[in-house]
Amino acid sequence: MLQDRYDKLLWLGLLGVIGTLGFFLFAGSVRESAAVDAGSLDRAMEQELARQAKVSFVEKIYQPVSKLRQEGQLQSALLKLDELSVRYPGEAHGAILKGEILLEMGALDAAVGSFVAAVQRNGDYVDQHHPLSRFETIRQLVERGLREIAPRLQAHPDNPALAESRKQLFYLQSRLAGGCE
Amino acid sequence: MPTFSSCVSILRQGFGRLAIFGLLLLVIAGCEQTKERPKLKIGYMNCNNEQETRQRFVPLTRYLSEQVGVDFEAVPVDTHDFEDRFKAGEFAFTHTNSLLYVVLHENQKLQLLSAEKRGHFGARSAGAIIARADSGITKLEDIRGKRMVFGPMMAPTGYLAQYDLMLAAGIDPERDLGYYAIPSGSFKHEKLVYGLYFGQFDVAAAPVLDLEVMAKEGKITAEDFVVLAQSELIPYCTFGAAAETDPELVAKVRKALLGLTADATALVDGEQVRVLKAAWVDGFEELLDSDYDPIREMAKRANMPPYQKF
Repeated sequence: MLQDRYDKLLWLGLLGVIGTLGFFLFAGSVRESAAVDAGSLDRAMEQELARQAKVSFVEKIYQPVSKLRQEGQLQSALLKLDELSVRYPGEAHGAILKGEILLEMGALDAAVGSFVAAVQRNGDYVDQHHPLSRFETIRQLVERGLREIAPRLQAHPDNPALAESRKQLFYLQSRLAGGCE
Repeated sequence: MPTFSSCVSILRQGFGRLAIFGLLLLVIAGCEQTKERPKLKIGYMNCNNEQETRQRFVPLTRYLSEQVGVDFEAVPVDTHDFEDRFKAGEFAFTHTNSLLYVVLHENQKLQLLSAEKRGHFGARSAGAIIARADSGITKLEDIRGKRMVFGPMMAPTGYLAQYDLMLAAGIDPERDLGYYAIPSGSFKHEKLVYGLYFGQFDVAAAPVLDLEVMAKEGKITAEDFVVLAQSELIPYCTFGAAAETDPELVAKVRKALLGLTADATALVDGEQVRVLKAAWVDGFEELLDSDYDPIREMAKRANMPPYQKF
C-alpha cells in the first residue's frame, strides 16, 4: 500500500479530501442548526408581535365601550357594542365585553350565552397566561351559575331554557379545565 | 280430487276478496285523512300595523298548525280592542306584550304559555329614559319642566317602566314635566327617538330593545344619547292560552314554541320561510307567572290596568 512515494502522496491527498469534506459537513450542520434556532426565534417573535398587536388593536377598537362602562353608562356601552358588531361581527372580544356588561346588569343567563360565544370563537379567554384572559371571571360565573340554576332546574325539570343554560355552563367549565372545542 | 281449473277458480275468489278488503281499508284511511282539522284563532297584538303583524306571524302560525294538527288563523288585533275580543271568546291563543298578558291573566284567567326571546336580555327587556347627549340633561332630576315623549300607553317598556321610574325618583309625570306627548299612528317607538334626535322633545321614554335594533341598523349611535335611568329587566312579548282551551293542545303548542329553532320553516305563498327570522324572534322561553310580578308592582304604583283606581 505505501510502497513508494507516489502511493504515499495519493493516500495523503485522499485523507486531505476526506478531512475537508468532514470539515464542510460539520460546519454546514452547525450553520443549519444555528439557522433553525434563528428561525424558531423569529417565529416566537412573530407570534409575540401578533399577540401584542391583537391586544392593542382590540383595546383600541373597544375603547369607547370601556369608556362608557367606566362612566356607568352600561346600556350605552351595549349599544356601542351593537354598532361595533356590525363592523367586526366575528370578534370574540365584543362577546366577552357584552357578557361582562350583562353580568353587571344582572342578566346572568344572557351573560353565560355571550361568554360561550366568545370562548367558542377564541380560546385565549380561558388561557390563564394570555393578556386578554378572563379565566377568573368565567370561573366565578360558572360557580355562581351552577349554584343558582340547580334549584330552578329542580323546580322545573322540563324547562328547556334552563337545561340549555346548564349545558352552556358545563361547556364553560370544560373549557376552563382545558377541554377543547 | 280438485282439478287444476277448480284450484285457479278458488285462488281467483281469494284474491278478489282480498282486493275488496284492501279497497275498503284504503277508503277508510282516506276518510281519516280528509277529516276536517279543528279551526282556532291566535290573536296577535299589533305592534305597528296589521300588515306588519301578518308578515311577522303568519309563518309562525303555519308552523304551529303543522306541528299540532290544528288549522290556526293569525288575527292581528289592536291593543285597545284585545281584552273585549278575548272576553268574547274569539281567541284560543294570544300573543301580546307582557302588560297586556298581566291584564288578561288577572281579568280573564289567561294562562302563560311562553315568552319571546329577542335582543341582549333574552326573554326580558327594559325601559329607558334618554336625552340627547348634547342637551345638558345629565340626570333624572334635570327633566323637571322639560318636554317629554312617551311610547304607547300600554307599552311596558315604552311607557309603564319609565312612568314608574319617574315616580320612584319623586317626579310626577302629570305635574312636573313641561308637557308630555305620545306620537300618533304606527312606529311610535322610532318616532319618539327621532322626535328627541331632531329636537322636538327634550326627553324620551325609549324601549331598550328598540334602541338596540336602531343601533344595529345604524340609525342611531350610542354617543347620540345619554341614558338617564333604566328600569329593571321585565318579561317581553308573551304567548298565552285561554283558560278553556284544551289542555292537551296547550301543551302541544307550548312544546312546539319551545322547540323552535332558527332552521324551522313554514310554507307561505308557495315559499319556505324561516319562522323565527320572519317573526323577529330569537326563540321562546318558559317563564313563570311570578316572573311578571315586577310588572304588576309597576302597574300598581303607576295606577295602570289591571289595577287602575279612579
